[in-house]
Amino acid sequence: MGASGERRYTLEYPELGTGPVPIEPYISPEYYEKERQRIFRNTWLHMGRADEIPQPGDYVVRSIDVIPASILITRGADNRVRAFHNVCIHRGNKLVWDECGRRNRFTCKYHGWTYRNDGKLFGVSEEDMFFDLDKPNLGLHELPADTWNGFVFVNLAPEPDRPLTEHLEEIDGLTDGYPFDAFSVCFCYRARLRANWKVLVDSQQEGYHAKTLHRRSLPGFLTNMAEPSRHVVDIRLFERNRLISYYGNREFQPTPSALQAFAHGPSVANFATGETPPGMNPAKDPNWAFDEYAIFPNMQLLLFANMYITHTMWPISVNEAIWEARGYLPPAKTVPQRFNLEHSKVLLRDAWLEDGSTLEATQVGLESGAITHQILQDQEVLIRHSSKVIDDMVNA
Amino acid sequence: MSLPPEFAELLPFEDKWALRSEAERQGARLASDMEDIRAFYTAMQARVDDILTLLADHDPADLPGELKPLFYLTLSYCEVAPAVELFRQPAVVDGFEPRRLVRVEIPNMTPPDV
Repeated sequence: MGASGERRYTLEYPELGTGPVPIEPYISPEYYEKERQRIFRNTWLHMGRADEIPQPGDYVVRSIDVIPASILITRGADNRVRAFHNVCIHRGNKLVWDECGRRNRFTCKYHGWTYRNDGKLFGVSEEDMFFDLDKPNLGLHELPADTWNGFVFVNLAPEPDRPLTEHLEEIDGLTDGYPFDAFSVCFCYRARLRANWKVLVDSQQEGYHAKTLHRRSLPGFLTNMAEPSRHVVDIRLFERNRLISYYGNREFQPTPSALQAFAHGPSVANFATGETPPGMNPAKDPNWAFDEYAIFPNMQLLLFANMYITHTMWPISVNEAIWEARGYLPPAKTVPQRFNLEHSKVLLRDAWLEDGSTLEATQVGLESGAITHQILQDQEVLIRHSSKVIDDMVNA
Repeated sequence: MSLPPEFAELLPFEDKWALRSEAERQGARLASDMEDIRAFYTAMQARVDDILTLLADHDPADLPGELKPLFYLTLSYCEVAPAVELFRQPAVVDGFEPRRLVRVEIPNMTPPDV
């Protein structure tokens, strides 16, 4: 079946139905509590890139409000990436207070207990005053951690229900050959919003909004002249994860400054020409723009031919969340390349300011009681799938 | 600071737009009226290719001090371009409050301001 004409992706997944989807999960404190316990404490969570800690001794600290937890991620002398609860085992104080750095040992500022970056307890002050202290067998509480394509994932469950490779195997082959390492420059923005985390996730797992909300920043970007209602060239729904491939308008007219920037490097609006890595554009559609993977529960990965983007949405409470948006681009070794990078960054940032503008108002709308359900079109089926996956876990 | 003589027509823009950080450049854009923004945009559109040719072989991390203002002007040109080309006003139309979208430096991956 081609990606055109009468095809409706939703109908290929009859278990999802076609009816309206309840908004109760976006406003119910009880539902949120179950999400905390049954999803966020129980699955693989995206923490960033292993490239953030390239050298032995490098570390980063991530604050995860939904657990709540502070997580210390280190690279040991053996080059292994490890994750720990950032908690001194003496009496529970936060061990590392800065957000990143390079150190082989960490000393708790409360009573001076010291740990190595592989988690082992190294030193205890007034050690002779403790009773039966089994120091060689004591250390930081280590968490399951693994990497996929250079992304670090951590699991808060003592015994994850599946290894990371299995969590992502549905999409693994599709990213084969994607040059993640070539895009070693990252720019990142974060916003704290008064909105449920799923309002944030949903805002980034459909392209329906592009032609309206982004009509100024990216006019005509996904516009399909041949089939005006169709901005998608493929959708694949898996057990928990999802893929959506978008149509790119080859008639898209870059602005004068964009043309000056494109002469020196890539751009979000500079569509692939020639070969792309084998897994990309799985429908092999000639009008393909980019693939977006929605990785359960809170990460979106947008792969363009010449750059990629991630969004990670972190709950704080039933109606508060943090949106972290990152763009990854090739390093700028010359001034013209740096100019190109700045142009892409500013355009994306401004498009994200458009994205951010609806989220808090939508949450008020949902809480107001004006609607009880959302009405989804075929190309918004990722939201329908996401709702069902979450609901199945919450009610398991 | 001052610009190389061949870019003398950009001198009137140096104080306002030769800014080192994205936060400063975005701040200048949001604090300006469209007349100022358009004047800068138009002047830069005509000369940015010449600046990039002059700086083509330079690593931005290792740029001589006297060339930095020119480099900063090209980055400010990127900053104001959407205001002129897309929004026709300084800020994103009906956008999220810009100060609430906070820049975060990712260790070892975000290029430092130079």
